[in-house]
Amino acid sequence: MISVKNIYKNFGDLSVLKGVSCEIEKGEKVVIIGPSGSGKSTFLRCMNLLENPTYGEVWVDEDLVTPVDPYLHFDIIEASKTFKKLFAEYIAENPDCDEETAKFNVIMLIKEKDLLKKHEGSEYNKLMKKIYKQNVIDINLARQRIGMVFQQFNLFNNLTILENITLAPMRLLKKSREEANEKAFQLLDRIGLRDKADAYPQQLSGGQKQRVAIVRALAMDPEIMLFDEPTSALDPEMVGEVLDVMKELAESGMTMVVVTHEMGFAKEVGTRILFMDDGKILEEAPPTEFFSNPKTARAQEFLSKVL
Amino acid sequence: MDFSTKIDSFLYALIDKGAYTKVLLGFKNTLLIAVLGLIIGIVIGTLIAVIKVVPKNSFVSRGLDKISTVYVALFRGTPMVVQLLLGYFVLFPLLEIKVDSLTVCIIIFGLNSGAYVSEIMRSGILSVDPGQMEAGRALGLTYASTMMKIIVPQAVKNILPTLGNEFITLVKETSVVSFVGAVDLYNAFKYIGSANYEYMVPYICMAIIYMLVILIISAGIKLMEKRLRASDKR
Repeated sequence: MISVKNIYKNFGDLSVLKGVSCEIEKGEKVVIIGPSGSGKSTFLRCMNLLENPTYGEVWVDEDLVTPVDPYLHFDIIEASKTFKKLFAEYIAENPDCDEETAKFNVIMLIKEKDLLKKHEGSEYNKLMKKIYKQNVIDINLARQRIGMVFQQFNLFNNLTILENITLAPMRLLKKSREEANEKAFQLLDRIGLRDKADAYPQQLSGGQKQRVAIVRALAMDPEIMLFDEPTSALDPEMVGEVLDVMKELAESGMTMVVVTHEMGFAKEVGTRILFMDDGKILEEAPPTEFFSNPKTARAQEFLSKVL
Repeated sequence: MDFSTKIDSFLYALIDKGAYTKVLLGFKNTLLIAVLGLIIGIVIGTLIAVIKVVPKNSFVSRGLDKISTVYVALFRGTPMVVQLLLGYFVLFPLLEIKVDSLTVCIIIFGLNSGAYVSEIMRSGILSVDPGQMEAGRALGLTYASTMMKIIVPQAVKNILPTLGNEFITLVKETSVVSFVGAVDLYNAFKYIGSANYEYMVPYICMAIIYMLVILIISAGIKLMEKRLRASDKR
């Protein structure tokens, strides 16, 4: 479904993700846990490119959604200004060396030391664009297949609950108002909030908002759902109602990736636990194995604190 | 002349001599310039505000940003009268476009208020929770449609009081359009005053009319705000 290859993410000097890879298969319920600041949310947000990874690739099914990595293409590196400069220097230093070897050595040097800069001239840009167009799917299309639920709900404040749910299907899937409304009412029935269809988000409790946010994403018939700490902003008494909706969704066979602090949910629903710390995945195991027998010292320490 | 004769001579000029047609025309023009100016201003202002907040990651967006910065600096850096004079006596003659003074006034008022509205609108857009944009994008909506469907409506609601202020300013600023020969309220009452060299009553009348118009506008804005706040009720 989604595969993430060797993702790095820097915010200025702060490096949040340091080489994370992960493959999410259809039907899996992957739960990402770890201490605060370990990069869990950033990792999740990289999956639908709400954060652009500094380096690395994200694939949705067969489609690449991140910009093409120039380091994977020799001809792109050769078009860069950095290459031309270093190549000239290399030839000057080693006049006996034949051109092919010189080229290869310089390319390796650039790859090893990560020397490509942001601006590498128009020739380089042209090549990047060409490749980008060939392999890359528009992120907006990919996102239609990826539902996302946020910690802060992020319901559209200027629209009613019904409009919140029908906006995207009507605009993107070209559904008629009747079709979209019918589907929306079905979904609202599922979470028991049909009577709130004409209310505005401010009139709902946190738990209700989060349930609406879940069905808003479901209205697009996504193939996978991402949850970014969906219960962290809720009053304790409302956590249950949201988790129930998520459990029901899991039982229906939806592929899910959940960042959460709810260990009970992770144990019960998860099919795979990813334990992250300091921008890396330290451990990857089924929940029974992870919770009874964590391998790394860091995971043991974390579990002793939260369980 | 005592006050009652002043009133008599004013009424004589206004009604018997037919100056009321000029007052009505002036009233109409004042509102026309302010309303159309504001509408043009909102369109231009929203456009510029969006240009200012989109990520500057392409040549086009950076170029547009530069242009709008210059535009805002130009129109905020000179008085409205100067802009009117330059528009009427320099810009349009140079472009060899023949337009009447009223049209020039509307265009210049629109351009001027666009510069101010852009700053108001920008602050409104920035006041909307970034999570709203993220939620729209995460559903697969484009930047542009999230902006127009979600962000701008919420921004407008946040800035409505300030936008109302801008409209009131525009109504009052119309009093300078007679510099380029357009008939407005001020121009009409000045005409009555000069008919019998008696300015006291006409100018008091003029002040009262401006005041009334602005009171009505303020009430209208309050009402609109209340309706837009419908989504805030708990």
